[in-house]
Amino acid sequence: MSASQADPVPETKKSGSVLDERSKFMLGRVLTYGILVLAVVLIVFPMYWMISISLKLPREIYRTPSLWPQVFTLENYRILIADKGFLRPILNSLLVSTVVTVISVLISSFAAYSMVRFRYRFKGVIGRIILFAYLTPTSLLFIPLSILMARLQLGNSLHGLILVYLTFSLPLSTWLLQGYFRGVPRELEEQGMIDGLSRLGALLRIVLPLSAPGIAAVSIFTFTGAWNELLLALVLVTSETERTAPLALNYLITSDVLPWGPLMAGAVISSVPLMVLYFIAQHFMVQGLTAGSVKG
Amino acid sequence: MSEVQETQPQRPGMTWLNAHRRIQIFAYILVTPVVLLILGLVAYPFLFAIYVAFTDRVIGSVGNWIGFANFQYLFQTATFSSAIWNTITIVVVTDVFKLLIGLGLALLVNQNIPGRGLLRSLLILPWAMPAFVAFLTWRVLYQPIGGGLNLILTQTGIYPHVIDWLGQRQTAMPSVILASIWRGFPFWFISILAALQSIPKDLYEAARVDGANAWERFWMVTFPGIKQVVIITTLLSSIWTANAFEHVWLLTQGGPSDATMVFPVLAYFGMQTQRIGEAAAVSVAMLPVLAILVIVATSLMQKDED
Repeated sequence: MSASQADPVPETKKSGSVLDERSKFMLGRVLTYGILVLAVVLIVFPMYWMISISLKLPREIYRTPSLWPQVFTLENYRILIADKGFLRPILNSLLVSTVVTVISVLISSFAAYSMVRFRYRFKGVIGRIILFAYLTPTSLLFIPLSILMARLQLGNSLHGLILVYLTFSLPLSTWLLQGYFRGVPRELEEQGMIDGLSRLGALLRIVLPLSAPGIAAVSIFTFTGAWNELLLALVLVTSETERTAPLALNYLITSDVLPWGPLMAGAVISSVPLMVLYFIAQHFMVQGLTAGSVKG
Repeated sequence: MSEVQETQPQRPGMTWLNAHRRIQIFAYILVTPVVLLILGLVAYPFLFAIYVAFTDRVIGSVGNWIGFANFQYLFQTATFSSAIWNTITIVVVTDVFKLLIGLGLALLVNQNIPGRGLLRSLLILPWAMPAFVAFLTWRVLYQPIGGGLNLILTQTGIYPHVIDWLGQRQTAMPSVILASIWRGFPFWFISILAALQSIPKDLYEAARVDGANAWERFWMVTFPGIKQVVIITTLLSSIWTANAFEHVWLLTQGGPSDATMVFPVLAYFGMQTQRIGEAAAVSVAMLPVLAILVIVATSLMQKDED
């Protein structure tokens, strides 16, 4: 770690024993890569295990476990989708996450724009409420929310789920979008308004397009948040047809027989699209990630 | 206050006050939907949870105000004490490890080394993985029969016997903690890495010219540069870890015999027994500590914004 800030170029320029500096530098490199490769192996192994179990026959999972599948099979995926009906939960998850993302990003961008561009009474208070809401954990809200949803006749429905997911997605997207909008120069908007755009026009035609990378990042974070949610779904959804993907997998492990193969097939189906998305979009996602902005 | 100075060419007859007011109304209209939804979906349920915690509400009956009786009862139960200690243990141990691993890896990747982009992408993979998938996968890894961890330990000869990692009191908690660190450290890594990259390179050069060694450079340049991020990340991570549900629920459901019981899982079980007042009291019990963390975090984050 000590060599971490050493820039190799000034290092060699320095006076003193060149060979000594050089071998020290090489040793630092070997150690650096050694540790990083070890870390990558520890990170990748569980993912490898998830994929390999999903491709194994039951006898290879339980009786003669091995690191590499002897026979590759898609049987687990067939069981999961045909027998356990996993397509429905995946579609439910897609629907809920998409609707939550569209609603949140739309109305949060209005709120964030308002708070970044204008000065008015209560702005400080509103900002604080949004931050408090962002940090209020679901574990504190799931009991009252379930009572509230029952009262609104929205329990056990995807509509209800969409509504309660706004509890975490709205504060998150408003908070993040404020950061992005602050980066859009006010002069561009003023120029647009001189050219005849209204305030709303300036927001829709200038601010939003210029914040496109930010909006994409916020959309991915919001979508992920809804896609991953388990506790509220567990409390609110009772019927099998309304289950989301995490909920369906949760019920796979609470049954008596633990079907590891189909379970890991479900894990692969639920995670690979998101991980590919992160991999592609990581540049602007990491860019927009200010300290502690997104739930880890 | 430049919005006040704006001219509106289309409406020459408008007075200054009217233009100003119009803009204010527009600003309020834009912010209203989010404010209303947050008041209805977060603020109201939050206050309602506190109220319910002081009642003997059950499913089917609204119940009566019973003061601190729920809390008095809870503090006498062994399960609740376990939840307190387990929550504290998980928060402290995972945060310390996530900090050390995240900081260490961020310092390594922040070097000017070939392949750093790819390494960074690989190191944040657990963060991109849904939490429920991560913990289901670890559940399979920990299995005595067919679990990857036992397979590696027995085949490499590190430990010859199969261990039921999640089924024994001594190993259940470390297993939950290990899985939580695996899933949680990339967030620290990426936050600290971003902070490291914003430290000007000249500062290191200046420190080097002054004769500071690597250790001194870390404390004089690196540490002040990342201090704020580390503090905020610690606060946020503590709030989230203390309130996380998936890790324990999907790995052990709080077992064996409450060895890994934490507040959110206990509250969920409470709700399943239909004693809503008591369940609410479980989640409200940690509110005083939580409130302090949240208030400190929000003031730091708002300061950070300016």
